[in-house]
Amino acid sequence: MDLTLTRDQLDLREAARRFLRAACSPATVAVLADNGGWASGTWPELIRQGWVDPELSAVELTLLAGELGYALLPVPWWTTVGLALPAYHAAGESPPGPATMVDGQGGGATVPAASRDSGGWRIDGVASAVDAAPATEFVVVAVADGEVALFAVPAGPTGPVCAPAEGIDPLRVVSDLTFDGTRARLLAGPPDAAGLLARIRDRAAVLLAAEAVGVAERALEFAVEHAKVRTQFGRPIGSYQAVSHRLAECYADVELARSLVWRAAAAHDGPAGGPADATASAVVAARRAAVLTCEAAVGVFGAMGVTWEFPVHWWYRRALSTGGSKESLAAIADVVFAGEAR
Amino acid sequence: MRLHDDEQEAEFRKNLLVWLREHLPPAPEVGTRRWTPEQLRAWNRTLWAGGYAGLAWPVAYGGRGAPPAIQEIFVAESARAGAPDHANLVGLNMVGPTVIRHGTAAQRDTYLPGILRGDTLFCQGFSEPEAGSDLAAIRTRAIPAPDGGYRITGEKVWSSYADSADACMLLARTSGSAGRHDGLTCFLVDMSTPGVTVQPLRRISGDAAFSRITLTDVAVPESAAVGPVDGGWRVAMTTLAHERGTLAVTLVARLAVQFDRLRRTVVAAGVDRDRSVREQVAALYVEVEALRCTAHRAVASAQGGDPAPEATVLKLRWSEVDQRVCALGFEVAAPRSPWRAHWERELLCSRTSTIEGGTSEILRGIVAERVLGLPRSR
Repeated sequence: MDLTLTRDQLDLREAARRFLRAACSPATVAVLADNGGWASGTWPELIRQGWVDPELSAVELTLLAGELGYALLPVPWWTTVGLALPAYHAAGESPPGPATMVDGQGGGATVPAASRDSGGWRIDGVASAVDAAPATEFVVVAVADGEVALFAVPAGPTGPVCAPAEGIDPLRVVSDLTFDGTRARLLAGPPDAAGLLARIRDRAAVLLAAEAVGVAERALEFAVEHAKVRTQFGRPIGSYQAVSHRLAECYADVELARSLVWRAAAAHDGPAGGPADATASAVVAARRAAVLTCEAAVGVFGAMGVTWEFPVHWWYRRALSTGGSKESLAAIADVVFAGEAR
Repeated sequence: MRLHDDEQEAEFRKNLLVWLREHLPPAPEVGTRRWTPEQLRAWNRTLWAGGYAGLAWPVAYGGRGAPPAIQEIFVAESARAGAPDHANLVGLNMVGPTVIRHGTAAQRDTYLPGILRGDTLFCQGFSEPEAGSDLAAIRTRAIPAPDGGYRITGEKVWSSYADSADACMLLARTSGSAGRHDGLTCFLVDMSTPGVTVQPLRRISGDAAFSRITLTDVAVPESAAVGPVDGGWRVAMTTLAHERGTLAVTLVARLAVQFDRLRRTVVAAGVDRDRSVREQVAALYVEVEALRCTAHRAVASAQGGDPAPEATVLKLRWSEVDQRVCALGFEVAAPRSPWRAHWERELLCSRTSTIEGGTSEILRGIVAERVLGLPRSR
């Protein structure tokens, strides 16, 4: 085992943090969140810096995802790189612009389905809670009724109709997409598409876990900075163990979750047959760390922490919007009791 | 980054597995094997003869200078095979690295080979009745003797392995008053010196796993001091950093095996389809794996040096997960289950985990002040 970052990987993370610090202050986050906006101006710069380079390993992508969680810059990076890019890549292409993906598996009767007529492939149905759709130019549709296939659909006038959906995190815009005979192009079909889709889901989940660790890291920094300077009863509140010990536990949560995210990314990059629980374990630990740390941070800020103006709740919302713990715990139990855990 | 063994690691693991099979009796189906002190000493010598003692130590001091991944393979496979704790846990993981860091050439020559061979078993004499978490409060005094050297008088408690140890690394006050960090000196004391008496203390589990050491006018030579006279605090901090960092790799490896016993207990009790039990087991599994990977990171980043304060979280979280694993094992094992006695003992013993080697409260303080940079609490 080797869980250390290379010099290049450390540089990648450092460069990302530097760029995001300049591009996205907490005040910027608050303005963008209030206005439901996208930091669209930064997208070309992210491309230029190689953020959508298909050669980036899962480990490297987790570093970038972590920095995005730390800065909370609203860009459709996760949907483009985590979801859409591998599908385009399988077809020997690059995503032509920011993109997202509709994952049809597990939905109800109305999930998008593909059929073929004289004009080629068409998609019909409704996809709910699709990430980042208004900011994207293309949608990958994963159809999973029967055989799995992945299609590309342009967003915009010839694409699905996009309606805003409710979500706790305004910086993670979710929408319902209605497909009505939407023309589609096949990117990957049987027999490879099923395995491809499984790998996409797995890697995308690892990236969200990485993002959650970044969220936790930022929340902890907010809280620590405040605890050092906020004075009550004549002393900085960070000198009181009731405060400092809670933050020490948060630090432990963050670092333990980070280890599991790296483990999951390394499993993804490594040969087949790695630990079957790797992604699920990372998801459980990262979400827990993010929620607990954000809650601690809100608490440390006291009444200021529960105001709309104070930005820490945007990170808390991101932490809460990261789901998957329950399913992941069930999956881990399956692995443990199948005797596969190690 | 990679999870799989590289060529060197795979080779090491393969040879180790063969060696363990040849040298260890099979682990029992239920519970753990109890080892007598004689068997433990014999195991130390077997490890030395097999070339597995002091893997982490620098080659210059008789170790193998093995990278962290090799040490982890060793502790993980040893624990899985049911090997006992090295009886010289204190010597190998704490005293050795401290003597390497702060000791004189003569002290290294005197003690390191014996620690590696398993001939010199060490215990630690830090805590006292009035100095637990507040280590600087120790009252044991080392007074310069007219004919050279020192005379040490005092009482040390909660000293693991003291009843079978050959030597003790202890902290005594050479100047100043109780409560001050300066004026302490670290000594290596031969346990057979006149004036040293050991009285075993029973733990809540009923076993005598630690002892009280009474020192009455114990004569030690000047050369027994490790590091500068009156500068023992820093020496002790090195020892404690290793206790909370280096030793954690072993503790985590043993916890992984304890977790597997929990899994087997759950299956034996027929509750492995119970949703709540499954969820608790899965949550614990996540914690154990996180500790394993974090221990790897801590050792890898401490290469060639002492563990960073960041490694403190290992001991902090290991102890809590250890207690939770034992609590669930106890809850799940029915009163007449063959696993019951194991979990009764382990649960009681596990209460030690959040106290020994720095209480959780002390460790959180270290993380808060030295890692997060929060203001001091006192």
